Amino acid sequence: MNLTRRRALLGTTAVAVAAGTGVTWRQHRLDREPPSPPLVDSSQHLLWRNWSGIQSAYPAQRLGPRSEEEVLAAVRFAAAPVRPVGAGHSFTPLIPTDGTLLSLDGLTGIVSHDAASCRANIWGGTRLEELGPALSALGQCMPNLPDINKQSLAGALATATHGSGALSPALHARVTAFRLATPAAGILDCSRDQNSDVFDAARVGLGAFGVMTQVTLQNVPAERLYKRVELRPTPEVLEAWPHIRDTHDAAELFVLPFTGMSAVVTHDKTTLPVRSLGTSRDNEVLLDLKRLRDWAGFWPGLRRHLAQWAMAGQQPEESVEESWKLLSNERDVRFNEMEYHLPIDEQSAALRAVLEVIETNRHDVFFPIEVRSVAGDDAWLSPFYERDCGSLALHAYYKDDYRFLFDLIEPILRRHGGRPHWGKLHSLSSRELAPLYPRWSQALEIRATLDPDGRLLNPYLEGLFGRG
Amino acid sequence: MRGILGAALSLLLAACGAASAPDRTTLAAAAAQLLPADAQLADLYTHACRNCHANAASGAPLTGDREAWRDRWRKGPDVLLRNTLQGFNGMPAGGQCARCTLPDYTALIRFMSDGEHQ
Repeated sequence: MNLTRRRALLGTTAVAVAAGTGVTWRQHRLDREPPSPPLVDSSQHLLWRNWSGIQSAYPAQRLGPRSEEEVLAAVRFAAAPVRPVGAGHSFTPLIPTDGTLLSLDGLTGIVSHDAASCRANIWGGTRLEELGPALSALGQCMPNLPDINKQSLAGALATATHGSGALSPALHARVTAFRLATPAAGILDCSRDQNSDVFDAARVGLGAFGVMTQVTLQNVPAERLYKRVELRPTPEVLEAWPHIRDTHDAAELFVLPFTGMSAVVTHDKTTLPVRSLGTSRDNEVLLDLKRLRDWAGFWPGLRRHLAQWAMAGQQPEESVEESWKLLSNERDVRFNEMEYHLPIDEQSAALRAVLEVIETNRHDVFFPIEVRSVAGDDAWLSPFYERDCGSLALHAYYKDDYRFLFDLIEPILRRHGGRPHWGKLHSLSSRELAPLYPRWSQALEIRATLDPDGRLLNPYLEGLFGRG
Repeated sequence: MRGILGAALSLLLAACGAASAPDRTTLAAAAAQLLPADAQLADLYTHACRNCHANAASGAPLTGDREAWRDRWRKGPDVLLRNTLQGFNGMPAGGQCARCTLPDYTALIRFMSDGEHQ
């Protein structure tokens, strides 16, 4: 009996040690930094990488102009390709250049504003996180904001960056005018009344039509929002999503794979007094989900059980703040991302298919699936061109393999009629993109007149918009 | 998802969770008051580093928080510079400062870890 007990105890201990060692080894393997390129190239040019680290370059020259004239001189005469860069938040190779990296960080702030029309003219290099408080001081705010607000205004517009809301369009739809520094046509004033074809073609322009130096935004009077975050079972949320989406000023879902749960986030205008929650814990929560993946990823049933046990009884979280404080979030857990914008009626079916594929094939995924809606607009290269969209965004931790986004997820999103986000991962070529954009060829013709020598085109953009 | 999972999952996973400094908000408020004395360096710092290194909500070591920087310095200045330029965990490569040069990075790291006017 004693021998049997001792054997059992030893056996249990051995299993525990082996499991602990296995989990530790697995965590060590998962936490390895991805390979990094050298700090300088053979010409001693300094490394540039995007935010997530998957794009890199060694620009021969880095410029930080402090006037429109200096921007114009750069796009005309600096070593090509000349690529404007903001916060480096694009995952597609929009920026890499061995020519000139052009930062607009020297052109920031509000140029002028008009209280009566609630408009503000803003330097293109202004970061969205700086713009919120600056507009608030003028009694204005942008009616919607993206989840992350590190981007420069010009960069956000160039890639059709958006927030969420059934009636809320992407940021570029609120642009009433901009000034564009171009290699061949100088600085153009563009609006619906002036250079209107350039206004339509270059409002979402990937930094390939010129450099947007100033932007006039149609804002709204500063407002407070009531934000509510609630954890609910995913099947229930998927059923309710169309109703949730259509009954709030802004709504989004974070579907948590392998947990059976989703976070429903809604924002509505309010006159309630400020009720602050203090510092966000989103990043801690995300790392907790990663730990759950690291420890129990090999056993989905256990992972789901632990997650649901941990989330049980959570009360909805409510806060009231100025809109710019609530709509964007601090995201310092880096990731790579794919996002497609689907016809709104296709979103739910695509989401179900994506969730099933992930939970069947990719137990390493721990990031939430981000589900948003965006109203249509009329910018020629906008993924929301003339249609209301439902967006699905899939993320992979920056240390994790992201190829499944192309192999497993993108076919689903394309099958449901999606157009890719310009700054996020996709595999579409010019040949595949052209049929998705009714004004594609007109936009490319205008681009060629503004930059006939392709000074703004790096190899990736040459492939999309090139002269060939 | 803001914080709603935090309480519950942190209870579950606290054993391996990163402990958050209790006074990070205070430290961030102090960090927000600091700027390099050199105007050009201050301009670079304001448009790149400060967004995270004087932000209580980020996980970055705060400007002037010598305790937080001490662990980084233990790895040596070369490793610290390399991690800054190549990116490491939450730190994006180069702090996404497209205008910074190598000497700028060295000076900015020194400023943030000392919190003193350079």
